[in-house]
Amino acid sequence: MAEVLLKNIKKIYSNTESKNRGRGLFRKKKAGEEEKKINLQITDEGVVAVQQFSLDIKDNEFIVLVGPSGCGKSTTLRMVAGLEEITSGELYIDGKLVNDVEPKDRDIAMVFQSYALYPHMTVYDNMAYSLKIKKVPKDEIDRKVREAAEILDITQYLDRKPKALSGGQRQRVAIGRAIVRNPKVLLMDEPLSNLDAKLRNQMRSELIKLRQRINTTFIYVTHDQIEAMTLGDRIVVMKDGYIQQIGTPQQVFDHPANLFVSGFIGTPQMNYFDARLTLKNGRYFVDIDDLSIELGEEKQQRLKDNEVKEQDIILGVRPEHLVISDKGIKGRVDVSELMGSSCHLHMTVKGKDVITIVPTEGKSTDYAGKELLLSFDGNVAHVFSKETQKNLEY
Amino acid sequence: MGKTKKAEKKKSISYAKWGYIFIIPFFVVYVIFTLYPQMLTIYNSFFEYYRDGLNVIGPNFVGLGNYAKLFSPNTAGYIPIIRFTLNTGILWIIGAVPQFVVAMLLALFFTSTRLNIKGQQFFKTVIYMPNLIMASAFAMLFFALFSQVGPINQLLISTGAIDKAINFLAIKISVRSLIALMNFLMWFGNTTILLMAGIQGIDESLFESARLDGSSSTQVFFHITMPLLMPIFIYVFITSMIGGIQMFDVPQVLTNGKGTPDNTSMTLIMYLNQFLGISKNYGMAGAVSVLLFIITAILSTFVFRTIAGNKK
Amino acid sequence: MKNNINTIAKLKLLISRLIVYTVLIFLSFLCLFFFYLMFINSSRSNAQLQAGFTMIPGGNALKNFINAWNDSSISIPVGMKNSFIVACLSAILTSYFSALTAYGTYVYNFRFKKLIHLFILAIMMIPSQVSAVGFIQLAFKYHLTNKLWMLIIPSIAAPSVYFYMRQYLEATLPLEMVEAARIDGSNEFKIFNQIVLPIMKPAIAVQMIFSFVGSWNNYFMPALLLNDAQKKTVPVMIATLRSADYSKFDMGKVYMLMVMAILPVMVIYMILSKSIIKGVTSGSVKG
Repeated sequence: MAEVLLKNIKKIYSNTESKNRGRGLFRKKKAGEEEKKINLQITDEGVVAVQQFSLDIKDNEFIVLVGPSGCGKSTTLRMVAGLEEITSGELYIDGKLVNDVEPKDRDIAMVFQSYALYPHMTVYDNMAYSLKIKKVPKDEIDRKVREAAEILDITQYLDRKPKALSGGQRQRVAIGRAIVRNPKVLLMDEPLSNLDAKLRNQMRSELIKLRQRINTTFIYVTHDQIEAMTLGDRIVVMKDGYIQQIGTPQQVFDHPANLFVSGFIGTPQMNYFDARLTLKNGRYFVDIDDLSIELGEEKQQRLKDNEVKEQDIILGVRPEHLVISDKGIKGRVDVSELMGSSCHLHMTVKGKDVITIVPTEGKSTDYAGKELLLSFDGNVAHVFSKETQKNLEY
Repeated sequence: MGKTKKAEKKKSISYAKWGYIFIIPFFVVYVIFTLYPQMLTIYNSFFEYYRDGLNVIGPNFVGLGNYAKLFSPNTAGYIPIIRFTLNTGILWIIGAVPQFVVAMLLALFFTSTRLNIKGQQFFKTVIYMPNLIMASAFAMLFFALFSQVGPINQLLISTGAIDKAINFLAIKISVRSLIALMNFLMWFGNTTILLMAGIQGIDESLFESARLDGSSSTQVFFHITMPLLMPIFIYVFITSMIGGIQMFDVPQVLTNGKGTPDNTSMTLIMYLNQFLGISKNYGMAGAVSVLLFIITAILSTFVFRTIAGNKK
Repeated sequence: MKNNINTIAKLKLLISRLIVYTVLIFLSFLCLFFFYLMFINSSRSNAQLQAGFTMIPGGNALKNFINAWNDSSISIPVGMKNSFIVACLSAILTSYFSALTAYGTYVYNFRFKKLIHLFILAIMMIPSQVSAVGFIQLAFKYHLTNKLWMLIIPSIAAPSVYFYMRQYLEATLPLEMVEAARIDGSNEFKIFNQIVLPIMKPAIAVQMIFSFVGSWNNYFMPALLLNDAQKKTVPVMIATLRSADYSKFDMGKVYMLMVMAILPVMVIYMILSKSIIKGVTSGSVKG
């Protein structure tokens, strides 16, 4: 356990060293992986993968770095690990500047996406390797390995080679290898992305349990916002090398800092409408069509503090917060998907695609082709500046 | 400020230096034992530099004189190098043509699901075996077997095929055939295995769909197998050619370095080897080596292209 | 009608199989025949050999072996010892350092990485004979003839082995494995020796075998470099048999010498033929 402090960290891949990285920024796209536009800044020195990254990670905290591929999250993690050089900025672990300290002297451990288990060693030797290098006495190694194996429930596999294990078991060994050393910081780079959906859910809850059993600071990288929401004490949302927002899952979900964060966190994605923010008697209203919704108290206060003026805005409302009403924005249902307890309506509203989630409650859900009027509550309306795409609350 | 920055750089966690450290042994050895001698070889080729009895003649700069000697017909007792180049080419071709025809056929046999050849591992093991045999011992063996008092002559006489022992090593055609036969035996198994791997690398469904389209086996071979096998075929063919240019052990030992009869089985490397013998004619040897290098370089660019093209 | 076509097709298949097996058996016979003769003749006495051709072994194998082993002009035990030293050390050095070099250009990012890789590929095809002239000149100049290490050390720089190792690494070693070891606290040399080498074991085994066989059989350079009878390797000795006055020889002994020259590789091949044949293809262009 330790504090980790990142001060204005920047990473530039110079043109000579770029490419050829196994994964991370320049990895080859896997089949089926969506081709995403990466708008990284390119300077004379090379590609800027991460910039202006400042973060104060508290002792024992679980931090999740989340963002689309190419956003710089893995690069940041690798800089903390010491696998990548830090171009500029300062990195402190427990108050000690470690920019130029080799990984082995940073007292960190890391779990890799591919697990990276040594194929020629047994599970036991895999877990004991780092202790052997540190010349820890044999009986102590044995005690520590067995203890970690106990926690992860892999004691019966200690004599096997990684090849003879299933994906989930390998995952546990990889975690075991990391925790056996009692590292100050435990780094995890998309550890669950190679597992199938069911196993991923199971491992996710086991990670929460593990977290309660061992005292260490976690930094966890994922592109999956559900993992980020469920695991993190705080989430760092990144895009194009910049931090977009840092906050607790609740904060990020309820008060997304900008349009990108609002769209990235939460499924199905948030809906957007062109609207206008108006001031009536010192109170903020959102006007759209013939609706005029008064914003909630918390938002009133935040906007007032920022002295926000009347302006055209992008209104964001999450699908689950749109309700069918007798007065509101008019839309046509294209497809209605019954999910069980609820129903997803794919609609066209003012020429845009909008998703609404309505509870089924035993009623007929065949809305297809119907025209509906949509409304929402003032507490869940998000107002973004049309100009800067920032949340006007901030 | 500047000073602290420098100090930081020294301690950086960049691993680049390890890349250099790990490749240093290779390059040190390469430079000392290969590159420097190569440069020396090229340098020598422009000098008159040889040993005559106990005297060392040269080194005297002669420009392209050595090359002129190599090419000019019968001046100063030198046989034009074209003749040895032709010898080498002929020896390679009469071995390589059957080698590639047979290897192609065997590769098709082994990969044919229709024929479903049993005992493939055995046949492959047997036909590859001569490739690993010491070429000089193999040539010595052929010399012993085909000598005038050797078992082959004995066999031919006892069966009544001939009445007088044949001196195989005194006849141009028989010497060349023996060398070609040895090269064939040593290399057709290797070629078979490489071509087989090439055919197995072709997507099976292509053959199936071609057959469903009604192609005969010959059509499948010319329209599917051969075009897709081409990169590997070219690679194997040209590496065989480069190997052919370097042909040495077999004719050297079989003819005791003399290229009998009348230099008709003298290859380029045997010629080079003569200059490196007692006369230590570094000048002429250098010129032969440079020619060898040029020929190989031209052929290698083809190989390089097939490797690069294949990677895409 | 349909039945008829079926039987014709079956007959056709039968005939083509017959032809194919005949060809295969003929070629196998051709490959084995001369070596069979060698083994047979090595077991016959000189007198038996003069008497005529036979395919049946004689009873003189042991005597020929003792004669060959104790021959005064050709000291085959010394030759085999020298060949073993050269072949074993070359095999170890070439596979270890080629793996090390391939690892160096694969895992690390440095300025000339790509250029160096291409350079090694480019020099792969240069015939070894091109450097021979300069090499021999230097060897004589610095009195380094008859030194076995002159045949061993150059094997550290073997471009084709490098190429093979590099391809193997690309296919089998994820960079994350190296990073995991770094985080586990290993240094770069230990990572290579303790993590990477064991992963490369199959490739190293294949290259060690081929390298052993290659230098065991190598004739050109040793023949130029070694003229001291105590330093000669087996191929050089076998070749001197050819230049000696042939008619004076005990031919049974000569055949036995050839058997002894070939046998070590034969034995290796019999034990490892399967992996050797696999190794033939894995080294060629495929990736």
